[in-house]
Amino acid sequence: MAAAAVAAALGRSLTAALRLPWARPGLPGMTLNLCHKNLPKAETLHQVKFLHTTPSQRGLEEFFDDPGNWGEKSVKSGDSWNIKQLRGKSSEDLHKLWYVLLKEKNMLLTLEQECKRQRKPMPSPERLEKVETSMKNIDVVVREREIALRLLQTGHEKPVPGEWRNDFLGRTFWYSYKEWPIPWHLNKKHKKKRFYYLPHVNHFIRLRLEKALRKRARQQNLEKMREKILERKFPGVAVKSQSQ
Amino acid sequence: MAAGARRAVYPLFQRGGPQLRIFRPNFFMLAVRPGVPQPEDTVQFRVSMEMTKVDIRNYLERIYNVPVAAVRTRIQYGANNKRNHRNQRVKKPDYKVAYVQLGQGQTFQFPNLFPEKEQDAETRAFDDYRDKFMEKEKQKQEGDPRRGGVPDWFGL
Repeated sequence: MAAAAVAAALGRSLTAALRLPWARPGLPGMTLNLCHKNLPKAETLHQVKFLHTTPSQRGLEEFFDDPGNWGEKSVKSGDSWNIKQLRGKSSEDLHKLWYVLLKEKNMLLTLEQECKRQRKPMPSPERLEKVETSMKNIDVVVREREIALRLLQTGHEKPVPGEWRNDFLGRTFWYSYKEWPIPWHLNKKHKKKRFYYLPHVNHFIRLRLEKALRKRARQQNLEKMREKILERKFPGVAVKSQSQ
Repeated sequence: MAAGARRAVYPLFQRGGPQLRIFRPNFFMLAVRPGVPQPEDTVQFRVSMEMTKVDIRNYLERIYNVPVAAVRTRIQYGANNKRNHRNQRVKKPDYKVAYVQLGQGQTFQFPNLFPEKEQDAETRAFDDYRDKFMEKEKQKQEGDPRRGGVPDWFGL
């Protein structure tokens, strides 16, 4: 897949390089500029030329492990990709790696299901976890980059804008805006919603706060009591655990 | 779906709007051995619940380079007849099953992932274990070498 993506990217840049000079025949002044812009692309092309990329033709066999590993009790595998390594990768590489990992995950899930069916232990089940952590890390890194770009371009951190609102009981929640097919004053259902509370609710807000505080205090007291009892039963336990 | 691993926010559908694109799909897809015998060109998959037939076709064609002729799907109801220790029903999760017919006259046979290997390594390990066990037993029988053959019975 990675190879296919590279080939596709190569082809795209090639076609772009070829097409751009005569893309806008009405603007002769633009062509020179565009050609100039394409120069670095041509250089990269020259470097990439020595990289052989053929799309893998394995097709459905990619749902299964390497035939050499069939019937083995354990299969050796490397570590998962950590965030530090992934931050050093370009976005394109991350994109390719995502698909590599996706295929690996599918392969492992197939193997797991087949093992369940035949009631045999799965060879090296930790691979599945490794793949999943890697994918999660890729997602984190890509999201970081998206946020950074969005902050630069628009100044917003979140992809969907929103605000803190109150409901009719005075509870505060994050309301994220969404697209509506009709304007709000025509939307009967939305107009029925109340994002405010009346002054008589203040008393109940106070009660709710008291309840929450009392609950927290009770939990803390309980914890303290437990510690005290443990201390009485096993004197010096806390000190011991600190020293180790 | 614009994002990968988390819940996607789809833009509102409007005529002439851009096509929905997926950049980091988190859809899984696993090939399973069909329980009921299938035609030669049909492959059975278990797929993410959110995938549609079109999604499955695109997934296989774009990511795996597999020609697809037709896709049929169904949702398998997970059994809920098990009871736990409190006699509450325990539900197994539902899953989506896809039957994909391959194009261009391709056929598929689910391979045997656990071929009978020559019992070399296993038998060797078993022999090793047995030898070790026998040696241990022998030592136990002989008792403490420092006692010079005097049986345990006379000891303190």
